[in-house]
This record gives sequence, C-alpha cells and structure tokens, in this order.
Amino acid sequence: MANPGKIGVPMMNLVRLKGVPILQQLHLEERLLRTSSHNWCIINDGTNQPTIVMGVSGKPAELLEIESVLCDQIPVMRRFTGGGTVLVDPGTIFVTFICNKDAVAGIQPYPQPIMSWSGALYNKVFQGIGDFHLRENDYVFGDRKFGGNAQSITKNRWIHHTSFLWDYEVRNMDYLKLPARVPEYRLARGHLEFICRMKDYLSRSEFINRTIEAAKTHFSLRSTDLEAIETTANTKFCPSTRLLTMQELEIAAKFASQSNVSLYQ
Amino acid sequence: MMIGRRIFILQKRSFTSVRRFLCPYTSQAPNPNPSPAQGSASFRSAGSRSSILHFNVPYIAVNRSFFSSHAVADLPVGGIVDVPLAQTGEGIAECELLKWFVQEGDQIEEFQPICEVQSDKATIEITSRYKGKVAQILYVPGDIVKVGETLLKIVVEEAQVSTYVLENPTPTQEGLKNIKPCDSELTKNDICGVLSTPAVRNLAKQHGVDLNDVKGTGKDGRILKEDVLQYAFQKGSIKDPSASLTSASRRQFLGGEEDHPHPSGEVLGSYEDKTVPLRGFQRTMVKSMSMAAKVPHFHYVDEINCDALVELKSSFQNTNSDPDVKHTFLPTLIKSLSMALSKYPLMNSCFNEELLEVILKGSHNIGIAMATPSGLVVPNIKNVQSLSILEITKELSRLQLLALDNKLNPADICGGTLTLSNIGAIGGKFGSPLLNLPEVSIIAIGRIQKVPQFTDDGNIYPASIMTVNIGADHRVLDGATVARFCGEWKQFIEKPELLMLHMK
Repeated sequence: MANPGKIGVPMMNLVRLKGVPILQQLHLEERLLRTSSHNWCIINDGTNQPTIVMGVSGKPAELLEIESVLCDQIPVMRRFTGGGTVLVDPGTIFVTFICNKDAVAGIQPYPQPIMSWSGALYNKVFQGIGDFHLRENDYVFGDRKFGGNAQSITKNRWIHHTSFLWDYEVRNMDYLKLPARVPEYRLARGHLEFICRMKDYLSRSEFINRTIEAAKTHFSLRSTDLEAIETTANTKFCPSTRLLTMQELEIAAKFASQSNVSLYQ
Repeated sequence: MMIGRRIFILQKRSFTSVRRFLCPYTSQAPNPNPSPAQGSASFRSAGSRSSILHFNVPYIAVNRSFFSSHAVADLPVGGIVDVPLAQTGEGIAECELLKWFVQEGDQIEEFQPICEVQSDKATIEITSRYKGKVAQILYVPGDIVKVGETLLKIVVEEAQVSTYVLENPTPTQEGLKNIKPCDSELTKNDICGVLSTPAVRNLAKQHGVDLNDVKGTGKDGRILKEDVLQYAFQKGSIKDPSASLTSASRRQFLGGEEDHPHPSGEVLGSYEDKTVPLRGFQRTMVKSMSMAAKVPHFHYVDEINCDALVELKSSFQNTNSDPDVKHTFLPTLIKSLSMALSKYPLMNSCFNEELLEVILKGSHNIGIAMATPSGLVVPNIKNVQSLSILEITKELSRLQLLALDNKLNPADICGGTLTLSNIGAIGGKFGSPLLNLPEVSIIAIGRIQKVPQFTDDGNIYPASIMTVNIGADHRVLDGATVARFCGEWKQFIEKPELLMLHMK
C-alpha cells in the first residue's frame, strides 16, 4: 500500500542509529518488515562490536574459521535475509530499505529488480566520487567490493539491506573462509585484493547525507527515532535472527575437522 | 508472489509419502508431465521367439502418424494442481527451500504464504494462487529446487480453476498464457472434498455414485476404484464389481485393438451413432497433441544395421548369472544414444519460445514409451550419461514393472529430456512421431527385421536392420544437426566397441 506524502511520492520513515548492536538492528528490521505497513529507511552508523553475520542458511563449518572465532569469542549470528557472510564492526555502515511492494513505481518485488533499483539509487550517492557500479550483487568501486547486499521478499513487502565497508580491520578477515560461491568478477582474488574501503572516497557523514538525499528522490522522508518505534512494537513478534550458541559452534568445529580428515583418507 | 501454474491429469497411481522429483521446466514451457496417450509399444527382437517388451495395446494411428504422449498445459479434471517454483528473476535457476508454512492436509487460502525459499541474496516468500487443501509436499527444507519444479500439490475447488488469471507477471517474461478451462464436465464429484483420482471420479459418475457416500480404503481415506465399485455393487448398480473394473478401464481409455470403438454391429449392437466423451488421458492427449502440432516438425529417417547389437545382446545373455536381469536391446540403444547426445547436446534440450532461448539439459533423462493398462506412459531413466548398460537394464526393468502395475511415481514420469518410442508390430514402414514438448526431439525405432543387403561386389547377405525416425523441432534443430547426430548414434550401435573408446 503506497502512503502518498508529497504528491505521488510515498512516505518513508527514516531511522538514524549509531553504534547499535547488529542483533538489535536485525531484530528491528525483521519486525518492521513483518509487522509494519510503512516504508522504512534505517541507517546504523557502525555497530558496537565485531560480529559475524551469516545469511539465513549459512553453515558455520563451511563459512568460518571456527577455532579462531571460538578462541577470540566473536559472536556469530544467522540473519533472516539471504546472502553471504560478513564480519561487521564499528567501521561498517548499514543502510536498509523496507518497502511495500508497490512503494517504488515500476519495480517488481523480485530480487533482481530491487537490486537494480538500489544500484541506481547508490549511483546517485556516489556520483562524481568514484567509479561506482552494481556488479552482480555487490557495490564496487572499479572491481573492488565495498558493499554487500541481502534481501527478503514477503507477500506484500521487501527489505534490501546493505553493509558498507567504510573501514575494516585486516585481521578480522581471518575469521572468514573463502566462500564456496563467489561472484564471477572476483576471479581468483583473495579477500584483501577483492575489497576496498569507502573511507578512501568520502567521509561517513557525507555518505549518510548523500544517501538520504538520494532516498528523497523516491520517497518523502520523515525522521523517526527508535524509542517511538519500540513503544508501539508488536510484542508478540518473534524474530528469527539469532545468535549461535557456543555449543552449536563447537559442534560445527568438530564437524569441520572431521570433514578435513576424511579428505585425506 | 507469482506462482506459475501447472496442472496435470491425475492418473491411476497411488499417492505415497513425500517424493522428490526433478522437473526441468521453465515457467512458460508447457507441462512436461506426461499423460498417457493411446498407442502401443512393442519391441520384438529379430531372431528371438519371445517378445521381450511386448505390450499389446496398439496405437491408434491417424494417417500413419503416432502420438507422443506428453501432456502440455493439461486441463484439470480432478482439481489437483501442481504448484511449481516460479521464475523469480533473471538468471535464477534454482532456490534453496528454507521452510514450509503449511503441511499436508492444511486448508490454505489464496495468497497465503506457503513456503520460503532462498535464491542467492534473497529470501522469498512463495504464496499460493489457490484456495484449497495441501495434498502433497514434495521438498523438505534444505533441498535445492529448480525453477519450474513442482513444490507441492493442492486440491483446488472448481471455481478457481475456471476463473484463474495470472495477476503478477514475472519481470522477465510476459507471463503464462491463460489456460482455458474445460470445466463443463466437472461435477459435484470432481469438487467434493474427498481424495480421489479423476479416474475414480469418472467411474463414480458412470455408476451414479456420490463419492461423499463412499468410504475410502486408500491412504488418508483416499477413495479407490474398488471402493466405488463395491459401493455400487452393494447399491445394486452393477452386477459384478470385478468385471466392471476391466470394462470401466476400457471405457475410459480408448485403447486396445479389440476395444477400438469403430462402429460395428458386434460391438454396438446397432448402427446408430455413439458419442464418446473424451476423458482422462484421451482428453489430455487432445490438448498436448494440439500444442505439439503447432511446433514445426521435420522428420529424419535412417536405417541402422543391428547385427553387432544382436550379437552383443546374446553375449550379455550368455554371460548373465543374475536371474533378475534380462538383457534386451533397449539399454544398449539408450546408452549409445546418450553417448551421441554428449556430442550433440542441442538434441537434448528444451525450447523456451517466449525468451527465444534453448536450455541445453545437463542430464540425459531418456523417456521410454511403455504401455500400461491405462494407456501409454513415458517414464524416463534419469542421468543415463552416468549409468552403465547394466544399470540402465535394471532401471528399465523397474520402470516397466511399475508401469504395468500402474504404479509409476511422478518422479519417474517427470523430467524427461528426450523420448524414445518403439513402434513395433503395428505395421507400416514408419510413423512420424510428434514431439513430447518441451523436448526438441523424439526418436521412434521400429522392429529389427532381417532383410537382404548387397555387398559391394553384388553378393546378397542377410542383415538385421532397424528403421529409425527422428522427429525434431525445426525452430531449434536443422537437418544437418539431426543427420550428424543420427550418424553418431548409428556408429555406436553398428560398432559397439566404440563405446569402450569413450568409457571412463
């Protein structure tokens, strides 16, 4: 259902967060997707601590160097959207769009059209700043990824959220294995040759402001704060994004080591 | 969320617990689910007294053509709808099933979310286009489902079927065509809440039986043919239920030379016209053959010397120590067919008319025409490229037994990529087979016959010759490709030792 604000342009609630834990952010997003009928833009300027976030069907044994993860006690969670694994930290900026299926004129509620729409939006954001592209399902400067995307499409709504690498710590990359499925444009590049930092192009505030301006071309934005949302929250809603327990990770670690052994038998 | 719609005629096979099957299918391609057409499959080996694969249900050949049997965009006769995984975006060929929101037996509403899948970066809720009852769920969470494969089956109500219109087209296609309903024949029994197949519903209608009054003895209270006949017998509608079982089959499926409904004093007892309403498989055949007829076919005919094949079969038989295995020609023909397909993958493809693209199928799922008591079915042997001749022999035998018992699974019938059809004992030189859409080629093989051949210096010698007729979709295949493919296949049959050259 479109909520016309300005003539012909749907309303969208804008929520600006900073340093909010990623689990809380994902719970909020899932709740808004499933129980709200409004359009939302959520921007979280960095999360509070390094956390590993896998996609909905992520398997730790395949995706993570579990021994290191356990040793350094990095929290691991599985989110409700599809896509791959990211390690997020205070250097990550999150931008999320949650829309009714007819909120954006002309785009159909399927993965590719939504992805293309988002690519066009960020094209505006990075106009004149870098050689920005949507490449397969990633945002890149040139051929280096700095933004990863994931989506969830329900009966009447969809969410498209992005984690932007404004900055990252090299050592954090060691927690992640090379995924089995990689985009073609990655070729054979290792992690550090494949990604880049957004901070080499623009500041955090500049990025966030430009994103809000780009969103305004599609929506009539109205600022809302977290407290306002949470007081009207549907308390019956149970989010599916969850932290994996230590036990689950330990079992996964055992499984991973057994698999390695069998290869050499 | 758009759901593509695919409907098939329920055949007389029992529903079992969750089965998984592969159905290569794009949202626009016609339904590859086969529906038995009329015909016979008969394959006799030259020089062999016993018929190895002999099903004496002759073809009804019109103008010397015979029909391929796969149904295309079948019309519902029983109200069971296949719900496939629809195309969710360009280049998305498959999704992982994440979870079900419904289970078998649940009543569901139109637009109700039924499951969630994941494709690449997105989780997607799939909603139902129908109001109905979940009859069968075909995948479990974690399974990878190809676009077009059936996710689940729903028992729908009559009204929906007749008014179905797609609302949300896919982003990359124009959307499925409207399927015109043919629901004038649907009666109370068709839309009653009991579980039964269309064949059983027809039988009930013939005997004036209300299915709601019949106690079902099948799985989940399903009403079987025997239940209807027993009820009718008890009511006094029929004299002998077991006799009706046979005559009912015959009435439903115009098959069998003996039962061919030509006007004759003996059969009808009079010279009046008789109206035969087309039901079940016959009805499906009308639709599927009409669709197939729209495809520009060409036919390529060749003769293959089967002397080496005959010798090979004898050798297999002589060294066979397994009493359960009976060697025939077909497995070697099937394996050599697959070898030739590896070199000519275009012959093993599906054509998507709207996107103007050809999908080269990775697996060689060779369909083999077989006659069942209910008519012709075409189960297929999956992944022939990865099977040995012995494995093909065993799988063929398994399918034949199931076919004779009318117990083929949807998995066995769905997913074929090329059809092989025996014409055998009917007569005539050869037929011109119609394609089993969305496949692009069909191969009809005749009986191996001993005929005289000439050597270069004019001497006559006997040779076992088999005629083949390859029907092909001329939108995709040209004469040269088919001719070369046939030449390749022929080489493997005439010189089976070449199979060893490619053995891995």
